Amino acid sequence: MIRKVGLVFGIMTFTLASVVGLSGCTSERNQDPDNTVYLALGARVDSLDPVFADDAYSNPAVAKVYETLYQYHYLKRPLELEPLLAAKLPQWNSKKDELTIHLKKGVLFQDDAAFKKTKGKGREVTASDVVYSFMRLADPHLRSSGWWIFDGKIQGLDAWRKNAGEKEQANYDTPVEGLEVIDQYTLKIKLTAPSHQFIYFLAMPFTSVVPREAVDFYGEDFRRNPVGTGPYVYHRKQSNLNSKLIFDRNPTYREAFYPKVGGPGDKKEGLLADAGKPLPLNDRLVVEVFQESQPMWLKFMSGDLDLSGIPKDNFSSVIKKNGDLSDEMKAQGVKLEKTPVPDLTFVGFNLLDPLFKSNPDLRRAMSLAYDENPVIEIFFNGRAVAAKGVIPPGMDGYRKDLDVGYRPHDLDRAKKLLAKAGYPGGKGLSEIEYLTNVSTTGRQMAELFQKQMAKIGIRIKVNLTTWPEFTKAIDNKNFQLFGMGWKADYPDSENFLQLFYSKNQTPYGSNYFNFKNTKFDALYVESLKLKPGPKRTKLYEQMNAMIAREVPAIFSVHRMGYGLIRPWLKNYKRIEFEHNQAKYYRIDTNLRKKKKK
Amino acid sequence: MTGYVIRRILYTIPILFGVSLIIFFLFHWVGGDPVLQMLGKHATPDQVAELRHELGFDQPKWKQYLDYLGQLATFEFGRSYSTRQRISEMILDGIGPSFLLASLGFLITLSLAIIIALVSAYYRGKWIDRAVVLICVAGMSVSALAYILFGQYFLAYKLGWFPISGYEKGFPQNLAYVAMPVIIWVMVGLGWDVRFFRTSILDETYKDYVRTARSKGLSEKKIFLKHILKNSMIPIITYVVIQIPFLILGSFLLESFFSIPGIGSITIDAINNSDFPVLKAMTTLISVLMIFGNLMTDILYTLVDPRVRLQ
Repeated sequence: MIRKVGLVFGIMTFTLASVVGLSGCTSERNQDPDNTVYLALGARVDSLDPVFADDAYSNPAVAKVYETLYQYHYLKRPLELEPLLAAKLPQWNSKKDELTIHLKKGVLFQDDAAFKKTKGKGREVTASDVVYSFMRLADPHLRSSGWWIFDGKIQGLDAWRKNAGEKEQANYDTPVEGLEVIDQYTLKIKLTAPSHQFIYFLAMPFTSVVPREAVDFYGEDFRRNPVGTGPYVYHRKQSNLNSKLIFDRNPTYREAFYPKVGGPGDKKEGLLADAGKPLPLNDRLVVEVFQESQPMWLKFMSGDLDLSGIPKDNFSSVIKKNGDLSDEMKAQGVKLEKTPVPDLTFVGFNLLDPLFKSNPDLRRAMSLAYDENPVIEIFFNGRAVAAKGVIPPGMDGYRKDLDVGYRPHDLDRAKKLLAKAGYPGGKGLSEIEYLTNVSTTGRQMAELFQKQMAKIGIRIKVNLTTWPEFTKAIDNKNFQLFGMGWKADYPDSENFLQLFYSKNQTPYGSNYFNFKNTKFDALYVESLKLKPGPKRTKLYEQMNAMIAREVPAIFSVHRMGYGLIRPWLKNYKRIEFEHNQAKYYRIDTNLRKKKKK
Repeated sequence: MTGYVIRRILYTIPILFGVSLIIFFLFHWVGGDPVLQMLGKHATPDQVAELRHELGFDQPKWKQYLDYLGQLATFEFGRSYSTRQRISEMILDGIGPSFLLASLGFLITLSLAIIIALVSAYYRGKWIDRAVVLICVAGMSVSALAYILFGQYFLAYKLGWFPISGYEKGFPQNLAYVAMPVIIWVMVGLGWDVRFFRTSILDETYKDYVRTARSKGLSEKKIFLKHILKNSMIPIITYVVIQIPFLILGSFLLESFFSIPGIGSITIDAINNSDFPVLKAMTTLISVLMIFGNLMTDILYTLVDPRVRLQ
């Protein structure tokens, strides 16, 4: 028996020694090229198929391998579209419902076994590939969550989709009237109505161009075997969508260059030091997936990540009370970048609910009773600004001086308005149900809201639900109040204003509030006809003020994005809506080595 | 023996039915409508209806239940709502990292716990025993999360002994990434196991046959190693064997904090994304493993203790 115990002990000691000893084994990291960029993602990537790129994690991953017809200029602000796979910006007809797009010549898909005819060599991209990729978005059997961008907008595409749905599989050889291939490098898109927003969709990862051979070759596994035209090739053997994604420089990437022109101050910031250099400016991207913020933060602190956000729990140790970076971080050469996020958080009213429908003063009283300051401090560590209307800062139609009297917090006026609404001190008012998604933050925010409303005598009952239940209740209009956020899909304030257009009421659109105002509708329709310019800006301002007066929601905050950048990562400039910016990043390898020592 | 095993396997059928009913009820009545989650914020009613039809959610509940039983029988739960990946493939992908982490953690904890418990029980009441009990209680009082935060901050970030997080495919580099999670697994489980094993051994120490052995003049060492140890193995085996099937599940918390792409991490993702088919598959898998673990324990009893007869 003693011998047996000894044996067990021996095995155990050997195993433990092996595990601990091997922790020092050569890691893959040591084999990465010196100029590798190390990035982080806060959640798993669900799919690398562009038609499923519907979240903040899939989008940047897809955009490393695939390309769209257009992209946003990396440096210019406000954002400006420029050609990517297209040779130039589209040519519109006079009615603005037809656009002709010319493609760049000689753009190749990445080499892949899917190209059997060319023995694995990537072939040239043609207009048919663009049409095929757009039709995939409409294929009902794929159930792409990006269909909304084309839904009802391209002539004949809805009919093709309906027809495809009735058959076992979609027939991509059936022509679609609104997607016409003129020649190998030219296509024409015919819209059902003029739309100034349409071109933004052609820069969204959903509309990335994919080769039909690869989709057919990989079938259901196409999601893990991306074949694009982009600056990087996905390293399939070493990557795992749940933990780490590796992208290597695409050896057949065409000639593309770092921008030569930037915005004001870019030159001083060193953002034009690489002007005119061929892209990408690095050989490898390693993207690590973190489910928890602590390991991500420690990796950034140890220099193993080149870029990071600031987790809520670490904020006070990094950012001083005056909003500056801590001295320790400054000494390490870390740079802090703050930029407004085009989003809005709010507490929405159901305007079909008898309590709120014809009582704007009740809504206004609640809006004035709501204090966004503790929300900004507690939940956003000060990384947010108070919202006065629906349009966020930096977007067309935003006015810093917007003041219609129902924001910000004013308890005395809230009490007076509540009395005017027929409920002095909350008397006669039944308990109001507040619907929110079940999560720690959701619950805490709801509890704070509950306390704030109690100050004017309004009783709130918090109903925490799962996301599917939450959306079901909103779609069925079975709620009174709900807490939510909205982030812009494209850089046009129309994306926020459409939330209040009556024809967009749920379940047919995103008007969760069931807001209906004929004057607002008329202005909204009018704005759709206008191209960007002072006239449209004026209309946006008018609509924003109108919404702020009607209070279909209590507007809470617009978030600010905080990014920390290691000094050796060059050319970083935060850009919303664009996901392929990693190709511009350059690593100062000497500085990295020196600093990491 | 064969008859007993067949009988026990047959007993599992009604248990599985019961479990399947509970799981079906939870996911089809309580969980909400996953279609809205799948289609995202721009879904139209037509798309919702279309998808509901495609997934069979517009079928009568009994028909949906029969479909689920079919999935259970073939263990083919279709595709994940969020990744569109075949669930069986996801499980197969995740088993490797989970099993590596869990089996190493389990084996080391078990070996250490048995040795420490033996020493502690042998020197019962003496300072060694007291020290072991004290350390065990202290270790049990610390939460797993505290070990993780300390390990990542101090051992990995400050001292640089281990990677902070991550995972790489292939042997032996994968061992480097599971080293710290394994140590934490051991730290978390050791106190509980030592206490349990020590108690099991001590329970035997006071039994009649031990007194008889002493009165016959057998040496303490012989009594301890030949009689007490063998008899105390019955509860220990029950405790150990029932855990074996769960080794393929890994650890939800450790995988999540250390970015190990195992079954635990897949399950956490599925919970976060309301990915019902994955959750359904995982819940079913856990139930089947539990039933299997119980069966294995019963069979092993007979091998250790001839007094136990399978009837």
